[in-house]
Amino acid sequence: MSGYPRVLFKNRRPGETLFLDDYLAAGGYAGLRKALKTMTPAEVTATVKAAGLRGRGGAGFVTGLKWSFFPADQPGEKYLVCNGDEMEPGTYKDRQLLLADPHQLIEGMLIAAYALQAPVGYIFLRYAYEDCARNVERALGEARRAGFLGTNILGSGFSCELHLHRSAGRYILGEETALLNGLEGRRPNPRSKPPFPAQKGLFGKPTTVNNVETLANVPHIIVHGADWYQGLALTEKGAGTKLFGLSGHLNHTPCVELPLGVPLGEIISDHGGGVWQGRNFKACLPGGASTPFLTRAHWDLPMDFDTLAAAHSRLGTACVTVFDEGTCMVAATLNLNRFFQRESCGWCTPCRDGLAMVSWLLEKIESGRGTPDDIPMLQDQLRNISGRSFCALAEGAMGPVEALLRLFMDEVEDHVKKGRCPFN
Amino acid sequence: MSQILPQEQIDAWKERVTGHAHPMELVVDVLRAIQAHHGWVPDAGVELAAEILGTTPLRVEEIATFYDKIYRRPVGRRVIHVCDSICCWSRGAEEVVGFLRERLGIGFGETSADGCFTLLPSCCLGACGEAPAMMIGLTTHGNLTPARILAILAAESGEAAP
Amino acid sequence: MPKLTIDNQSVEVPDGTNVLEAAKRLGIVIPHFCYHEALGAVGACRLCAMKFEDGPVKGIQMACMVTAQEGMVVSTLDAATVEFRAHVIEWLMMNHPHDCPVCDEGGECQLQDMTVAGGHTLRRYRGLKRTYPNQQLGPFIEHEMNRCIQCYRCARTYQDYCGGEDFGVLGTNQRVYFGRFRDGRLESPFSGNLVDVCPTGVFTDKAFRFKSRYWDLEEAPSVCPHCGLGCATIPGGRYRELQRVRAGSNRQTNGFFICDRGRFGYGHAAHAARPRVPLVDGQEVDWTQALAAARARLDKIIAAHGPRSVALLGSSRAGLEANAQLRSLARLLGTDRVVFAAHAPRDWTARTLAAGLGAQASSLDDVRRSDCLLLIGADPLAEAPLLALAVRQAVRGGARAAIIDPRPVALPCATAHLPLAPWRLGQALAALGDNDWSRFEGQEAVFLEGVHEALAGARHPIVIGGADLLGPAGMRQLLELARRLSREDRPCGAMGVLSGPNSYGAALLAGDGPDFEELSNAMITGEVRALICLESDPLTQAADPAHAGLALARLDLLVALDSLPTKTLGHAQIILPTTVTAEGAGCFVNNEGRMQTFMRVLAPGLPLRETGGGGHPPRLFMADTPGAAPRPAWEILAGLQGRAASLAELRDALAREDVRFAGLTALAAESEGQRVADAGLALPATRVEDYVPRDGELALLVCEALFGSEETAFYSAPLDPVRPEPRLILHERDAGRLGVTPGEQVRLHSAVEEVVLPVEIRADSAPGVAILPRVRGSLVEAFVPGVGPQPCRINREVDHA
Ligand SMILES: Cc1cc2nc3c(=O)[nH]c(=O)nc-3n(C[C@H](O)[C@H](O)[C@H](O)COP(=O)(O)O)c2cc1C
Ligand code: SF4
Ligand code: FES
Repeated sequence: MSGYPRVLFKNRRPGETLFLDDYLAAGGYAGLRKALKTMTPAEVTATVKAAGLRGRGGAGFVTGLKWSFFPADQPGEKYLVCNGDEMEPGTYKDRQLLLADPHQLIEGMLIAAYALQAPVGYIFLRYAYEDCARNVERALGEARRAGFLGTNILGSGFSCELHLHRSAGRYILGEETALLNGLEGRRPNPRSKPPFPAQKGLFGKPTTVNNVETLANVPHIIVHGADWYQGLALTEKGAGTKLFGLSGHLNHTPCVELPLGVPLGEIISDHGGGVWQGRNFKACLPGGASTPFLTRAHWDLPMDFDTLAAAHSRLGTACVTVFDEGTCMVAATLNLNRFFQRESCGWCTPCRDGLAMVSWLLEKIESGRGTPDDIPMLQDQLRNISGRSFCALAEGAMGPVEALLRLFMDEVEDHVKKGRCPFN
Repeated sequence: MSQILPQEQIDAWKERVTGHAHPMELVVDVLRAIQAHHGWVPDAGVELAAEILGTTPLRVEEIATFYDKIYRRPVGRRVIHVCDSICCWSRGAEEVVGFLRERLGIGFGETSADGCFTLLPSCCLGACGEAPAMMIGLTTHGNLTPARILAILAAESGEAAP
Repeated sequence: MPKLTIDNQSVEVPDGTNVLEAAKRLGIVIPHFCYHEALGAVGACRLCAMKFEDGPVKGIQMACMVTAQEGMVVSTLDAATVEFRAHVIEWLMMNHPHDCPVCDEGGECQLQDMTVAGGHTLRRYRGLKRTYPNQQLGPFIEHEMNRCIQCYRCARTYQDYCGGEDFGVLGTNQRVYFGRFRDGRLESPFSGNLVDVCPTGVFTDKAFRFKSRYWDLEEAPSVCPHCGLGCATIPGGRYRELQRVRAGSNRQTNGFFICDRGRFGYGHAAHAARPRVPLVDGQEVDWTQALAAARARLDKIIAAHGPRSVALLGSSRAGLEANAQLRSLARLLGTDRVVFAAHAPRDWTARTLAAGLGAQASSLDDVRRSDCLLLIGADPLAEAPLLALAVRQAVRGGARAAIIDPRPVALPCATAHLPLAPWRLGQALAALGDNDWSRFEGQEAVFLEGVHEALAGARHPIVIGGADLLGPAGMRQLLELARRLSREDRPCGAMGVLSGPNSYGAALLAGDGPDFEELSNAMITGEVRALICLESDPLTQAADPAHAGLALARLDLLVALDSLPTKTLGHAQIILPTTVTAEGAGCFVNNEGRMQTFMRVLAPGLPLRETGGGGHPPRLFMADTPGAAPRPAWEILAGLQGRAASLAELRDALAREDVRFAGLTALAAESEGQRVADAGLALPATRVEDYVPRDGELALLVCEALFGSEETAFYSAPLDPVRPEPRLILHERDAGRLGVTPGEQVRLHSAVEEVVLPVEIRADSAPGVAILPRVRGSLVEAFVPGVGPQPCRINREVDHA
């Protein structure tokens, strides 16, 4: 395969999970040891910040910056929560990580907990990841027995407990405040911000929520340093590698680790083996169901946070779903929107009812019953849902709708004009 | 109550709840335990969970009805969740659903005549690289083809024989 | 006090005000559903969007979620904002049925109003609407979920504000559902508030269903007559029938909610046996004849036996004006035998409170804002239900609440409870005042010390005592405790829980006059020959009803003014029918000394429902309105003095004569009311009769119950389905000693009566005390609360047989 360095996947073997002995043999827990023995919590945070690590859960917030807002010095209960909900369609990278190398996450969490001075952490896993949950459970047991977890870790005086929470479905729990409600056993509606979790999170105490992949990066940053991490990316501003989970109309759909900034076209042709069945590339979701489509015009676009934002899209989770030339983009958007509609928690009107309205319009158009009025109506739904919902779920839902109306208006109009789906 | 959850499990949960600072933190776990044992969560299961957690059935129901993987209606011995999200859709999820419906003689939300399978749609299972995919019980199956589906169904119905 | 600009008008608002409220102050009312002053802002409906053009917040935001800040420039007219609000309504209407013509919310539906206000006029969505099954929620509330617009107000009211645990939010996405786990009566005693808070017709008043359209109702601001708190209400009447009551708002008292006793207690007005015409010796007469007969007989008795042979008895159920007229009638007749409550201990307790409360008086709003509360001998849900809600709000805000009470006092919030026998409440108050725990041991001492510490350290402490359990001596100690806990920089508030809507007003009028015990003794000795009884029923209200019965039996003349078909009417030669609260106007003085006026909602009359025999319209032609004879008591009493009077004149005279009521003339309905001026009364001397049971003896404590023991609500048919069965509450230790099991029948031997009833066994009541909640109209009717513990004996009924 490519000659890019592997960091998160360096221990990954097909069909195997690396447990403690092998993890230690591969240099595991060196980062934790280094952090606890030679660094202050503030130094850990500073290093992660200097490394330029950005959140891998979708929003891309600078992790070190988030940690620096955390009242680590404040005494009392504080929490670190690992977000392993991973329910955004197209996204399956955290699962690959946990199937391959669960200790990497645990080590990352312990270092993060040290930086945040949080004595308790939770690993929140979605219902469908029972295989990952078993790995994590076993790894937690091993780590505890080896003295990496519990009281007075490695004689440093720092103590930390990690708990595994298995969820029972629903995408909204990926939203960090809904996740906190879910952990507390409340209805998992998102909370209003402010107050932010760093001030008032789990059980009302300061809490930091980070994605699985984000946390898995931390040990490597601590071991190899911020400069090394910065240097991994191909873009000037980017930092680190990224897990790209490929899906859709490709010959191969692996999850691969690549430097941030690898061009989209390279991912598709080199790692996805090109579009399947000898067809042409039409469009893709660059990073999950909530990210606006990219097209052929973006073939050479470096896949990184800022470059994608500049292209009216988002890196999201960097899990790329490809559509071939035979795909009806109205039908694809309808499928995406139905997902968001079904997963709405029902709290706010634009999301609960607005998304249903969008589905109704897209269904009409896709089934050939659309009228010319439906297109402006779809536009006004987009205009009024975007930026107006309580949390980012509906905002994300509008990503593909916006891109559909921006990039594939001719296709939409064609449906209405012909009174049928031109792809059927 | 014993067929909803064995007494020793009830006792164990009650013990965990005693002295727990936030008993409701365990609500999903208790519901999942009841479901694991009983197959689904009947009204009496909600009431049992409420009793264990020291709250009202309504408070438990508020949670139970939020999550789509808590079954509040009877299901077959195996629940099939077919992914209908974008990656699976792009690789033939609709055909998979059609095939399952035909083989099992049921639609979404229904249970096969032999009581073995209940068919439900599901959002993305995190198996997008192996689309199309479905989950039976807690096991995910990817790269579905008619032949594979038949083999999986046969194995599952063998295991789940009453 | 930030100053901001909204639609080019500037407004200054208190810190912490949200922009939606700020706009309201300018008269700009932006549609909203989920926001409610009492429930706060949650940003769910997304309707109250405004454009923030300049200042610290920018862009289109939900105004309820933004705190007003200096320099904000806000537009509610911005085109994108207006478009967005119209979309929100359109979305909400996607699933809302078009059943407005048959919907019971019609006319008072916020969704209707907001749909018009929001500019959604054309229906574009043509898809299917989601539908739901409804639930049977009991006798008070009708459920029609299809109309729901998911504003979450119901659940937030029921769970968050009222502390109910049996109703909430189920499901997700477009299928969220608001209901119970199963069909069944809503358990919260505040369930009726769902009707008021739901902006559409999901929850409607079941007892009111199919009676009237909102716009056909006669409504006026009123005050609830079902306890001493004086919650604001808005009764509605039509076809000569009081048909419903909804909550009014008074930020000082109830806030925005009322309890189900207050909401569904109105049925007394339409009670079939209600006195409707003046009667003299059982004969129907007109008012002139009735008043003349009453005066003539009184004059005759006075001529024969002197003026002091006539006594007058007022009540806490009657308004201030009526009681004051009773006082002037007494003066005119030349007798000083005028009493304002039939229950002497309650009377003295109320007088003690009225005399001593002064500046320490705390309102329900003060309670809601308090950070430390002590409730001693008070059971809010039974005696003053909205107080329970106020305590809950305080606790939600972080307050600590401690209860010292022999009963298993249940509040809808976390509290600490010390079950102490009634005869030890005084000791507890003394101990708290003196900081001396020597009369308590172990846990009790620790508890009391903790309470003292919390009260001393609090910023807004309030001590709350119930009149029935504390009695006059205890009430005095409570006031003393509040004084001791007060500091220069920080007063400690006090609140007394009184039983009647005008107990406080009656007590102010009573001053140091005689009490009913004195009166009834004089009746028995024959010194008193005639009694004028104003809306009072000594036969069920007196501390000793049997004694009252003996007294009434000795009278030559009983003139009874009432609107309720009381037992006492059976002894009266002359019956003068009065109006109920909603049919007259007047003023009640609540338990904190707050004068509040109520207005006439409807004229008295026999409900059309009855005259028409169910048919509509009634096919009987009459020149007069049937059943319209009842008059306000103050008018009748003025008539007995030979005067015609208007309410305004009476108030004027009272305010001039008695400085405490100076605020009366300026009192407006729908206001927060006004406290009476300093009472200027001397604290009455208190007789302390400390009852301490002998070893092994059980003490019987009769107390109030939420439904079933309050006098006026007893006559209300809508409450019939929720009346409790009589039961005796025993501590588990006592039950064990007696060998009784839960639900078992026991025989209660007491000075009042011997009755057989089932037991409830509790671990959280005071040992040695058998608690008997009074249920009127049942076998325990003769037991009256507020008389202190009495010795009793209890046997298992099986042993007896
Ligand atoms: C609807 C919704 C779903 C989300 N799902 C996930 C998820 O499954 N996993 C995740 O890590 N973050 C998810 N996020 C983002 C989280 O809210 C949060 O930003 C993230 O966990 C922070 O971690 P990071 O900074 O390490 O990325 C979701 C956000 C929204 C609005
Ligand atoms: S039932 Fe009424 S109050 Fe409750 S969410 Fe629906 S519309 Fe709002
Ligand atoms: S879209 Fe089907 S598993 Fe992800």
